[in-house]
Amino acid sequence: MGEIAKVAVIGAGVMGAGIAAQVANAGVPVVLLDIVKAGAEDRSAIAKGAIEKLLTTEPAAFMSKSAAKLVTPGNTEDDLGLLADCDLIIEAVVERLDIKQALYAKVEANRKPGSIVSSNTSTIPLATLIAGQPESFQRDFIITHFFNPPRYMRLLEIVTGDKTRADAGATAAKFADFKLGKSVVFCKDRPGFIANRLGVYWMQKAIVDAFDMGLEVEDADAIIGRPMGIPKTGVFGLADLVGIDLMPHVGASLFGALPPTDAIQTTNRDLPLIKKMIAEGYTGRKGKGGFYRVNRDKGKAKETLDLVTGEYRPTRKAQVDAISEAGKSLAALLTHDSKHGKYARSVLVATLVYAAELIGDAVDEIDSIDESMRLGYNWKSGPFELIDQIGVDMLISLAEADGFTIPPILAAAKGKTFYRVEDGRTQMFCADGTYRDLKRADGVIMLADIKRASKPILKNGSAALWDIGDGVTCFEFTSKMNSLDPDSLTLLSKAIDTTAKNYKAMVVYNEGSNFSVGANLGLALFAANIAMWSQIEMLCAAGQATYKSLKYAPFPVVGAPAGMALGGGCEILLHCHAVQAHAESYIGLVEVGVGLIPGWGGCKEMLGRWLTNPKRPGGPMPAISKVFEMISTAQVSKSAAEAREMLFLRPTDGITMNRYRLLADAKARALAMVETHKKPEPFTYQLPGPTTRVGLDAAVASFARMGKATKHDIVVSGALSEIMAGGDDADVTRPKTEDDLTNLERKAFMALVQHPDTIARIEHMLETNKPLRN
Amino acid sequence: MPQYKAPLRDMRFVLYELMDGEAITTLPGFEDFTRDVTDPILDEAAKICEEVLFPLNRSGDEEGSVLENGIVRTPKGFKEAYKLFMEGGWTGIACDPQYGGMGLPNSVVTFVTEMICSSNLAFGMFPGLSHGAYVALKAYGSDELKDRYLPKLVDGTWAGTMCLTEPHCGTDLGLLRTSAVPADDGTYRISGTKIFISGGDQDLTENIIHLVLARLPGAPKGVGGISLFLVPKFLDDADGRPTIRNGNAPGSLEHKMGIKASPTCVMNFDGAKGWLVGEPNKGMRAMFAMMNDERLAVGIQGLGLGEVSYQNAVQYARDRLQGRSLTGAKHPEKNADPIIVHPDVRRMLLTARAYNEGCRALGAEVARALDHAERHPDPKKKAEAEDYVALMTPIVKALFTDLGFESTNLGVQVFGGHGFIREHGQEQYVRDGRIAMLYEGTNGIQALDLVGRKMPAHMGRYLRSFFHPVATFIETRQASPGRAEFIQPLAKAFQRLQQASAEVARRGLGNPDEAGAAATDYLRLFGLTALAYQWARMADIALDKVGGPEDSDRFYSAKVATARFFMERLLPQTGALLSTIMAGSKSIMAFEEAAF
Repeated sequence: MGEIAKVAVIGAGVMGAGIAAQVANAGVPVVLLDIVKAGAEDRSAIAKGAIEKLLTTEPAAFMSKSAAKLVTPGNTEDDLGLLADCDLIIEAVVERLDIKQALYAKVEANRKPGSIVSSNTSTIPLATLIAGQPESFQRDFIITHFFNPPRYMRLLEIVTGDKTRADAGATAAKFADFKLGKSVVFCKDRPGFIANRLGVYWMQKAIVDAFDMGLEVEDADAIIGRPMGIPKTGVFGLADLVGIDLMPHVGASLFGALPPTDAIQTTNRDLPLIKKMIAEGYTGRKGKGGFYRVNRDKGKAKETLDLVTGEYRPTRKAQVDAISEAGKSLAALLTHDSKHGKYARSVLVATLVYAAELIGDAVDEIDSIDESMRLGYNWKSGPFELIDQIGVDMLISLAEADGFTIPPILAAAKGKTFYRVEDGRTQMFCADGTYRDLKRADGVIMLADIKRASKPILKNGSAALWDIGDGVTCFEFTSKMNSLDPDSLTLLSKAIDTTAKNYKAMVVYNEGSNFSVGANLGLALFAANIAMWSQIEMLCAAGQATYKSLKYAPFPVVGAPAGMALGGGCEILLHCHAVQAHAESYIGLVEVGVGLIPGWGGCKEMLGRWLTNPKRPGGPMPAISKVFEMISTAQVSKSAAEAREMLFLRPTDGITMNRYRLLADAKARALAMVETHKKPEPFTYQLPGPTTRVGLDAAVASFARMGKATKHDIVVSGALSEIMAGGDDADVTRPKTEDDLTNLERKAFMALVQHPDTIARIEHMLETNKPLRN
Repeated sequence: MPQYKAPLRDMRFVLYELMDGEAITTLPGFEDFTRDVTDPILDEAAKICEEVLFPLNRSGDEEGSVLENGIVRTPKGFKEAYKLFMEGGWTGIACDPQYGGMGLPNSVVTFVTEMICSSNLAFGMFPGLSHGAYVALKAYGSDELKDRYLPKLVDGTWAGTMCLTEPHCGTDLGLLRTSAVPADDGTYRISGTKIFISGGDQDLTENIIHLVLARLPGAPKGVGGISLFLVPKFLDDADGRPTIRNGNAPGSLEHKMGIKASPTCVMNFDGAKGWLVGEPNKGMRAMFAMMNDERLAVGIQGLGLGEVSYQNAVQYARDRLQGRSLTGAKHPEKNADPIIVHPDVRRMLLTARAYNEGCRALGAEVARALDHAERHPDPKKKAEAEDYVALMTPIVKALFTDLGFESTNLGVQVFGGHGFIREHGQEQYVRDGRIAMLYEGTNGIQALDLVGRKMPAHMGRYLRSFFHPVATFIETRQASPGRAEFIQPLAKAFQRLQQASAEVARRGLGNPDEAGAAATDYLRLFGLTALAYQWARMADIALDKVGGPEDSDRFYSAKVATARFFMERLLPQTGALLSTIMAGSKSIMAFEEAAF
């Protein structure tokens, strides 16, 4: 199997440029070509402009600004020669067969033998694309269908044709998996593949039914949303997001490409109101508004479209008794005797039946459909997982009562479930009526699998310790949002003892959407509100002591974050011997946002790292200023690459692109460290003392004068500057120990947590999820 | 013969020394309420209560209100007393001058309320409910309704009621069925049956304004579908005088344990004409405006009864000669010693006294916070005061009525067998006080309000309004000379309360039954700690005056001595309460339902 060392992307639109950025994020050089813009002086202006735009889009396309240097812009007239050493050439041009085919001829003339060519088409079948192309092209051609935005959406649908050589799909898939971090689903060569085919069906059905059954937009989104594990944007909110004008477009090509007997045709309906909206520019968030809008004439009032009158009215809270009355039972929602229950049933039963119809047509296995909807549409559970929640028999009876023909796989599953756990292994139901083990990709270790098959070594309400084999333990946060509380610390302390006694290494890892959002602020605020200062101080001290014992553990500890690692969640990483981070790791010390400073050794560790940073010579002051700035402005890395630049990660720490491979990579790293593990040398801090404070405080004061720092910012920064200075009795001739620094942290923390303005910040953060600028 | 003397000396201590009463004049609208204005008001209130209301208390209880020919007749003397009460302007002391009220601060009104409750609780129900109606109408009524009805409610010509409860629903008002159908003229036709309507009918006022919760056609189920309506007993005739009977009438009177002079009516509404108060389906909001006010007032009822019972018990203990002191005769010149020499009698008297004076201080402080919540110009202070009132409302209601009931029972006990005899009056206070633990939300509901709503709200923000000042007080006073005997017990109880709060909040998150099982004990623990804070503050002030020229009547000495008794003999209950709370819900919930 060949390696992909260089990539070309042709077509620098939103998708093409985004794909190129993600290739660059993987550290792989990429050529980005587009057509020559008529009359432009710079013949590669389009591709260059796309790169410029990539650098400013939100959310960011590049994981680090330096990744942009790996993208070489060009145009399809002068620079086709650049394709000659590319191993993968991705076409992402406009969805027109003639244009694509003309381009393919040029590509074929310039590419090296054995390179893979792929199209990012979302609707045109592979067979159509390669019709008339030379045999060699057909052998090397596949479809790679990315989702928008390519950096963040983890699904990649790959289609190979009858004529595609055996290893082309596998090579591309491996590259997508390891380098681009994608979860690959192989689809049959059918229109819309899996995710969009089912997704469009679901959206069309939900919208058409909402019109037919007279639902309010808010109520429809409340129903076709959270209760089904679907993002809270529901269906109308999602339409606003993707663009209402896009829907008829995608719809039309699917309706045209699929046979007249396909159930999707029943959702093909002209809705005059939507036509009118598109015609008048109400295309969603990018346009004048959509089903929802913010009316700036009325002081940013939120408004919702009335589907009957076509007029906007003030947005109101969803009023759906069916949801509260059904509780967590999806079956109870679908059978709730109300308009809302009927709507839920009408949309979901049809969608799930259609999902079952795709088996054998779009793909053979149910887990491919589930994975596609989870990663392509951000559903929490895929359709077959939803069917298991409802009950297969229950769904069949509902579907039969509603006049559906039961698709074969659903009929075959009668009396069973689509997934089951056998001897700790998850199995899925297959079209032939048997169950087969769910297979992870080679080398992938998932904690979820280990948890299913074994019992924890230690466990309490907030954390657990698992044996992940080969003498390695995994410390997992299990609390809500993986926030840290006294129980997390207690268990971590025990985990260190247990691992030291019976194991070789430990990984700190979990499979929540965020590694940890930091200390449980709710608990802290409650304790502060009832003035339990001694308890808060004990918690602060306990965190410092526990993290210290982690740092000086006799075995290697590898932190493996993904998603947010903030506050105390960042501080635990700073105390690990190494970190293997998922590329999408957002790391930072954000305590000042709630009027506090890092109190679990975060100040101490960051100061140590920057003071010993060989790239930053010139005495302690620049290092101190840098750490002060990062903490006092609560900077958070927008990727693991950025975290490395900020020294939240060491230069030697690793980055894993694929979320599924993070635990395996972390474990491998931990094992590799076992032989040579030594307790780290404690830092000694030569800090200049009060003179530093004066400088830092003066900087904050000038920010305050410019209106960039608030009254309480000055208080919090003042507390921080005292730590950074090493306390009021410090000078360079009297070095400070790590314990001196943590004592300073604790003192500052306790002073701040009793400050009414800090309490106000914590409360505001908890209530609104936004920082209070007081 | 029972007696009552308004405890003006203690009230003035609370108002002017404990609370710096004159600072109230810095609040907008209260500029005029200097001490030389409020003092005579308290004196006058004491006079009418002692001389007019109190003498009718026993006779009113004996005679009771009766329903005759579809009309309620109040006991003899009530009409005349009400006339005097009204003419004195007492119906409107707490009301806005814009509508003819006196506009007194809540922190002064609370003492007047206490005096009324001590002297004649049943009588006090009439103006009390009118005030509830006034509060709701003022907060949510249209200008038209306010201009039409408020002045008459304020001057007492008309009275008000609150019609919430129905035969099948009290606590769970979401179930209520009374209907309101829109009429062509913009008014509504109200039909349904309401029960437990205090003052639903009476012969004291020329009209009665019922505030009725009802459902509009097609209103949502539950509490989100309830609206509030104003339904007068009489509608205006052509001359604009209320003479035409509206479609509502008392169906019967309840036969009840206490407050017999207050007519508790079943009210039938049969297409009665009514006006919507506030927005459709927002009736609960308006209802809570008056409910919170009423809950504080009900707490004061408990205090008032505890006070009057205590006064009579003291008198009896001094007068009743029986046996000799355990340590030898204290009054050898008499045939026997008065029973006040006995430790157990003194225990009972001091218990009631310590509860009464503690509650008086706490009640006044909450009333002061209510003044701040309504008027403080600094939005931060105003918000803090709102939090404090919200937090303390269930505590004042439940704690004061529980302790008041305890005190009135001790008051009976001091009398021995004579306490059981009606003519001595002590048993009436027990009976009258019993209702205060039940209405306006039973004390169990108050405890649930505290642990289920007030405690978790905004992650404990309401708690802050109590815990932070107390923590600061302990910190700043613990080293002061002579204060340790008061500060240390307070600090101990405070720690217990902190521990219980953290624990109940934590457990309650995982299992609401845990919070439910802890609720009543937690409220008591909280209440006793709040009283301890008041007692420590009072002792702190009084200590400086003990033995000085201002202590010639031994007021400050007694204050310190009572504080000592509270700290040593009553506050230790907090230890047992904490143990009970920490035991959790298991033994309560594990019991099989069928085995009861």
